[in-house]
Amino acid sequence: MSASTVHHARSGPAAAGRATSRKIVLGVVAGLLVSVWVFPVLWALLTSFKSERDVLAYPPTVIFTPTLANYQEVLFGASSVLPNLWSSLVVSVGATVLTMLFAVPASYALARLRYPGKRASGFYVLATQMLPPVGLIIPYYLVLQRVGWLDTYTGLIIIYLTFSLPFAIWLMVSYFEDIPYEMEEAGLLDRAGRLRTLWYIILPQASGGIAVTTVFVFLNAWNEFLFAVVLGGNQVRPVTVAMFNFISVEQTQWARLAAGAIVAMAPVILVGLFAQRHIVKGLTVGAVKGGGRR
Amino acid sequence: MTALGHIRLEGVVKRHGETTVLHGVDLEIKAGEFFVLLGPSGSGKTTTLRILAGLEAVSGGRVLMDGVDVTGTEPGERDVAMVFQSYALYPHMTVAQNIGFPLRMVGTPKAAIDTAVADAARRVEIGHLLDRRPGQLSGGQQQRVALARAIVRQPRLFLLDEPLSNLDARLRMETRLELKQLHRSLGVTTVYVTHDQEEAMTLADRVAVFMDGRIVQVASPREIFDRPAAVSVAGFIGTPAMNLVPAVWTNDRVEFAGASHPVAARTATPRDITLGVRPGALRMAATGSSARVAFVETLGDHAVLDLVAGSERLRLRTDTPDAPAEDTEVQLVFDPKAAHLFDRASGQRLA
Repeated sequence: MSASTVHHARSGPAAAGRATSRKIVLGVVAGLLVSVWVFPVLWALLTSFKSERDVLAYPPTVIFTPTLANYQEVLFGASSVLPNLWSSLVVSVGATVLTMLFAVPASYALARLRYPGKRASGFYVLATQMLPPVGLIIPYYLVLQRVGWLDTYTGLIIIYLTFSLPFAIWLMVSYFEDIPYEMEEAGLLDRAGRLRTLWYIILPQASGGIAVTTVFVFLNAWNEFLFAVVLGGNQVRPVTVAMFNFISVEQTQWARLAAGAIVAMAPVILVGLFAQRHIVKGLTVGAVKGGGRR
Repeated sequence: MTALGHIRLEGVVKRHGETTVLHGVDLEIKAGEFFVLLGPSGSGKTTTLRILAGLEAVSGGRVLMDGVDVTGTEPGERDVAMVFQSYALYPHMTVAQNIGFPLRMVGTPKAAIDTAVADAARRVEIGHLLDRRPGQLSGGQQQRVALARAIVRQPRLFLLDEPLSNLDARLRMETRLELKQLHRSLGVTTVYVTHDQEEAMTLADRVAVFMDGRIVQVASPREIFDRPAAVSVAGFIGTPAMNLVPAVWTNDRVEFAGASHPVAARTATPRDITLGVRPGALRMAATGSSARVAFVETLGDHAVLDLVAGSERLRLRTDTPDAPAEDTEVQLVFDPKAAHLFDRASGQRLA
């Protein structure tokens, strides 16, 4: 803020006018962009307070008598999503913890080790992300069926690892690569040894990237639907699958679906707010340094 | 046991795949000495330092510290501290945490760490910066933090890798003096890598000059300047660089650029040599080797003449008022004792 004030003080009124109009244009463009993201959420929020009749009103209306019936139903009614939230939480936290447990050391090793075919293995990790998940459903189903892990937390978490682990490793390698080698060398000379150098010196410096990755892995797991609907079942039914039940052949319960979506979003938004500072820092650090190096 | 910090390298070889970086380095560094490894980039001086630190493994030879073979010992177990060229401060820790880190890693009690940190910080005059983070410090201050982190442990050996190269010229001169004073007050063996001959000359008790992965000369700065052991050292030490020209040595005279000059040594058989004369030792006289003044660089109280004698280019340093005009002819002579004679084929010093 103070920087722009100084800027104004130096340049004349004409320049200040130009700066103002520039700001207006910027604001309008930013507003348009933001509305693309905000509108669906806002509409879901509105819909969640409507009765089913108001939902189907045409033209759609923003003026209606709000009701909490939908929330009553999705939280405490016959089709409560609370057990499903619990399912989602177990699967997401389980998958995230396991992913990070393996991905942090793996990406550190990938960043530091020099071995033939490193570039190729990096591409391979990325290539696994290019496979359409639908193509994997049947093999995964057969494998889980064979070992008896269909409709179990273990089964779903392990399947989630297959895509979250490569993604997390790929994301974190560049953060570790940005840390200069001298850091390890200084740590070794300062008598920290390999493990304590990693713990006290390297990991804190990669914490931004680790936080960003954790959040992304968690969000991916939380929002996953396809594997959950096929490989889950009555025991393991994440909230994304439960919401799908509001859509049936006879009718779609839009208001309940919207209320369920809002409820499902709430924990994620909390995670986002909590980690926001880290995310922004981690994203920009990665962007600037990574961009300069390649 | 006398003072700690006696270092010995025996036939140390380092290869990176096909290329050999060090061709068998033998070196002995006395306890308490300020020892400089000097050489152009790629000469192997930094590799030698990193081998002393334990950050590079050797391909052959041994490293001994106080008589103990440490060739395969981990860096942390050698009781050595290092200041990196980039300082390598831990950005997420405060200055105090940075300095105290090596003590914390060996389980020193908190109170003892605080005392040692305060003491080390005071020695390098950064006592007021202890709560800052490295990112909030200037380059010179960061350098001092790196120094403090090294001295806080009272190791037997300091390794400094071009520690002044990231400072501006003025700060470099100041810090150079302070480094020397610090070394005097601590008395710890110090190995210092630089490509800057001026740093080597002002700081070192002794200097090892590296060229192409070999040590060409180990001596005091004075001796390296006065009696360079080879043409490569002669050309590397001194600004402007020593004049090195082909000449013929017969009896006690040397022939070059159409004139014969007396030198301090005799040879039984005439031989082809490289004659070395420092720009400051070359003088203008009534008769001598003739040369044309191509260019005059005036540098305040003295001037450097660019001379052309036959196919050779020479440089001569003189007081500014004595400098001749450009494009005039001058006659060159030198003191017989100021001549350095090197074998033309091997480059080794003859006299």
